[in-house]
Amino acid sequence: MTIPIDWTVAGPATIVLAGALVALLVDAFYPRRTWLGSGLPATVALVAAGGELLRGDAGTYPFAFSAIVLAGTLFVVVASNVMNFENAMPPGEYHFLLLSAAAGGLLMVGARDIVTLVVALELLSLPSIALVGLRQGDRVAIRSAWTFFLASVVSTAITLMGVSLLYGIAGSLDYAKLRDGLADPRVPDGVVAVAVVLTVVGLLFKLGAVPFHVWIPDTYGGTSVMVAGFLSTVSKAAALGALLTLLSVALPSAHDAWQPVVGIVAAVTMTIGNVGALRQDDAIGLLAWSSIAQAGFLLAPAVAIGTSEGLTAPVQYLAGYALANLVAFAALAVVLRLRGSTGLEELRGMARSDPWMGIPLVLAGLTLAGFPPAVIGLVTKYVVIRPVVDSDHVWLAVVMGVNVMLGLAYYLRLVVILCDRPDGDPYVSPSPPVSVRIAKSAVLLGAGALVVLSAWPDLLLTHLP
Amino acid sequence: MIVAALLVPALVGLLLMIGRRLVRGRTAAWLGAGAMTVSLVLFADVWEGRADVSGEVDVSWIEPLGARLHLGVTVVSWPFLLMTALIGVLCCLWLLADDTSPALVGLVLVISAASMGVFSSLDLLLFFVFFELALIPMWFVIAWWGSSTSSSGAGAAHQSRFKNGARYSATRFLMFTVGGSALLLVGIVVIGLDGGTLQVLDAGSASLAAAVLVCLGFAVKTPIVPFHTWLPDAHSAAPTAGSVLLAAVFLKLGTYGLILFSTVLDRFEDVAPYLAIAGAIGIVWSALACYVQDDLKRLVAYSSIGHMGFVVLAISTQSSAGLAAAVFGSVAHGLVTGLLFFAAGSLKERFGTASMTRIGRGLYGRSPWLAVTFVLAAVASLGLPGLAGFWGELLSLRAAYEVGDVLTKPVAWTGLGLALVGIALTTAYFVRAIRLLAQGEPVPHDGDRDLGRREAVVMGALVVAIVVLGLVPALVLDLYEPIRFSVAR
Repeated sequence: MTIPIDWTVAGPATIVLAGALVALLVDAFYPRRTWLGSGLPATVALVAAGGELLRGDAGTYPFAFSAIVLAGTLFVVVASNVMNFENAMPPGEYHFLLLSAAAGGLLMVGARDIVTLVVALELLSLPSIALVGLRQGDRVAIRSAWTFFLASVVSTAITLMGVSLLYGIAGSLDYAKLRDGLADPRVPDGVVAVAVVLTVVGLLFKLGAVPFHVWIPDTYGGTSVMVAGFLSTVSKAAALGALLTLLSVALPSAHDAWQPVVGIVAAVTMTIGNVGALRQDDAIGLLAWSSIAQAGFLLAPAVAIGTSEGLTAPVQYLAGYALANLVAFAALAVVLRLRGSTGLEELRGMARSDPWMGIPLVLAGLTLAGFPPAVIGLVTKYVVIRPVVDSDHVWLAVVMGVNVMLGLAYYLRLVVILCDRPDGDPYVSPSPPVSVRIAKSAVLLGAGALVVLSAWPDLLLTHLP
Repeated sequence: MIVAALLVPALVGLLLMIGRRLVRGRTAAWLGAGAMTVSLVLFADVWEGRADVSGEVDVSWIEPLGARLHLGVTVVSWPFLLMTALIGVLCCLWLLADDTSPALVGLVLVISAASMGVFSSLDLLLFFVFFELALIPMWFVIAWWGSSTSSSGAGAAHQSRFKNGARYSATRFLMFTVGGSALLLVGIVVIGLDGGTLQVLDAGSASLAAAVLVCLGFAVKTPIVPFHTWLPDAHSAAPTAGSVLLAAVFLKLGTYGLILFSTVLDRFEDVAPYLAIAGAIGIVWSALACYVQDDLKRLVAYSSIGHMGFVVLAISTQSSAGLAAAVFGSVAHGLVTGLLFFAAGSLKERFGTASMTRIGRGLYGRSPWLAVTFVLAAVASLGLPGLAGFWGELLSLRAAYEVGDVLTKPVAWTGLGLALVGIALTTAYFVRAIRLLAQGEPVPHDGDRDLGRREAVVMGALVVAIVVLGLVPALVLDLYEPIRFSVAR
C-alpha cells in the first residue's frame, strides 16, 4: 500500500524535523553548551523550510499560516539567544523541542484528515510541555508543565471522543469525505452537534479560549519568557489555522451547530481575558491574559467563515498580533536577563532609561491595544470586525468594541509605566553578553516592521490571502 | 498643502518630545507657536470656495479595505480647522514660560495636529485613526501636568494624591472616550460594508444599527447627557492649555463628527429626536449643575455641556439653518470657552485654586483687566448679543422653531422650550459667578496681579475674535448661503 504524500505540504515540516535532529546531534557531539552550536542548524532549517514553502502556492490559507508559524519560530530561535550561558537551559534539547513543536504546527495547519490533525496536535503539544518544564531545577517550571500537561491530555481526550463520534456518523476521517458525510440529511443533528463541539475542544484548548484558558497564565508565568512567546504565537497560529481549516473544509454543513458556540466562546474569551489582565502586576502575566483576550478576537471572525473574509481576517489579525506579541516577549526576555524581573514596577521609565527596549515595548503594547500611532493594530481590529458585522453578528461586533476599550485600560497602564520617570538610576548589567545583542536586534527588527506596517498597512493586507 | 499643515506641527511636536532635554521651555513654546501659525496660514490659504473640496489629497492607502489617504477642506470643516489652529497657536503662546516642559508643548502640538487631521479627513477609517491618535497624548497632558480640583494646599503628601486624582480623571476621560469610539468603529465598519466605500463623499448607509452606534459614539465625545460624567473631572483636572484644548477642540470632534456622519447615515432621522431631547435636557441639566459649583473650572466645564446641547439640538434638526447654527455654535464655543478657561487658568495660577470663595470678591478692584476679560467671556458665554456666543444659540433656537425635516413639531418645540429655560438659568449662574468674583468689596490677596503680557496677548486675541464674530457673523454664516439671515444681515 502506498500512502500518497503531498510534498508541498509535508516538505517544510520534514525539513524542520530534520533540522531538529541535527540540532540535537550537534549538541550531543560538540557539548560545549553554547547556544549558537545548535541554534545555527535550527535557524538554517527554518530558513530552508521557508524556501521550500515559497515554492508552493503562495495564495492559500495553509501557506499563510505556515509562513506565520515558520517566521514566528525563527524569531523565537533568534531571540532565545538571550538565554545563552544560562546553565539551567540545555540548548540542544531546547532547539530540538522547539523545532519539533514547530513541525507539529506546520503539519497541523496542512492537515486534511483528522488522524493527521490529532497526531500533529500531539507533536505540537508534547514538545511544548517538555519545553515549559525544561529549565533544570526549577520547581515552578515543573509545576507549570504539569498543569499544561494535564489540561492538554484532558482536552485531547475530549477531542478524540468527538472524533470517534464523527467517524461513527460519517464513516471517514478525511475532511472532504467528512463534509459529504455530514451533508447527508439522514444524519441526526443532535449527534453531529455534540461530535463537532467535542472535536473543536482540543483546538480551542491550544488556542487558549475560554473555558480552556486557565492553564495559560500559570504556564506562561512559570516557563522561560521565549517559550511563553512561542506558545502565545506559534502554537496559537497553528491551532487557529487547523481550527479554521477544519471548520471551513470539513464541517461547513454542521455550521448551525458550531457557529453559536464559536461566537459565544469568542465573546466570553475576550472579555475574561481582558478582565483578568486588569489585575496583573507582572508584565508576563499581563501578556498572558492579554493573549487570551486576543484569542477571542482571532476566533470571532470564524462566525463568518462561509464568506471569504471569514478566513482572511483572522490570518491578517494573527500576523499583526504575532509580530507585536513576539516583540513584547522578546523585549521582556531581555529585561528579565538584564534586570532579573519582569514586574511592572521594574519596567518603570524604561522608555526613557533604555529606549531601545522600552520604545518597542510601547509600540507592541499599542499594537495589541489597536491604538494609533500603531495603526496596524487598529487596522487589523477593523479587519476582524468587518466579517463579523457582514455576517449580521452586530452584537458580537459591539462586544469586540467594548473589549477594545477594556483592553486599552491595561495596555495603557503598561505604556504609562514605561513612559513614566524612572525611580532612581536603572540597574544596568555590567557586561551584557554578545548574545543578548542578538536578541535585542531581533526586537528592534520586529519593532521596525511594526513601524513600517503602521505606515503602510497595505504591505500586510495585500500580501496575505 | 494640507499634508504640510498637518505634518509641520506633528513633526515639531515629536521632535520636541524626543529632544525635550535639549531645548528650553520658552524656545519650545515659540517653536510650537510657529508651527501652529504655519498650519493656520496654510489652512487659511488653502480655501478655494465653498462649492469645492479645497486642497484635496487622495492617495491610495489600504487597498483591500478601500481606505484611502483622502484629505480635504470642506465648507463644514474649514471653520473648525481655523479655530483649532488658532487655539493651538494660543495654547503654545500660553506656555511661554521658563518652567514649561518642552514635552508638554510637543503633546499640545501632536493633539492639535491629530484634531486637524480629524477635521480634514475625507475617509472614514482615516478619520477614526486621527480621532484615536489624539487621545493618549491627552491622557498624558491631564495626568502628568494636571492637578486635582479639590486641591486645598500645597505639600508633598498632598501633591502625590492630587496627581493620582488627575490620573484618575484622565483615565476616566480616556475610558469613556474609547468606549464611545469603539462603538464608532463598529459603526464605521457597518457603513463601509453597507455603502461599499469608506469615502465620506460617497458613503451611505441605510442601517439603523450604524446610526445608533455612531451617534452613541459621538454622544460620549460631545458629550450629550447622560454620557457627560467624564467631562467636568477631566476639564477641571487638566492644566490650562489642556482644558482649553479639551473644551475648544476635543468636544468639537464630537459635534463635527455628528455633522459629518449625519450626511452619511440615512437613518439619522430615527435617532435625531433622542439627540434633540438629550441635547435640550443637557442645557437645563448643566445650568442647574453650574449653579451649585464653587470651582470655576468645573463651572466652565459644565457650561460646555450646555453649549454642546445647543449644538446637538441644531444638528438634530438637519436643516440648513441647523447646520449653520451647529458650526457657528461650535466655533463660538471654542473661542468663548477657550477664553473662559484661560481666564480661570490665570486665576488658578495666581491664587493656587479655582474655588470662587477662596479667590474672593472684588476682582474689578484687584486686577481690573483680568476681571474685565473674565466678565466679557462670561457674558459672551451666556449669549449676549454682539458677541460670538449669541448667534450660535439664536440660530439653534430658530432651527428648532422651524422644526426642520426630520423632527416632529412636539419634539422640536419641547427642545426649544427646554433650551429657553436653559438660557435663563445660564444667565443666572454666570451672573452669580460674576457677582462672586468680579463685583463686591475688594478683599486684597497676595496673589493679586493684573494680566501679564503673555496673558494679555492670548486673551486679547480671543477677545478680538469673539467680538469680530459677534459683530460680523456673516464671516462664518456666509459659507452656508442658501439660508438668508434676515436678522444676521
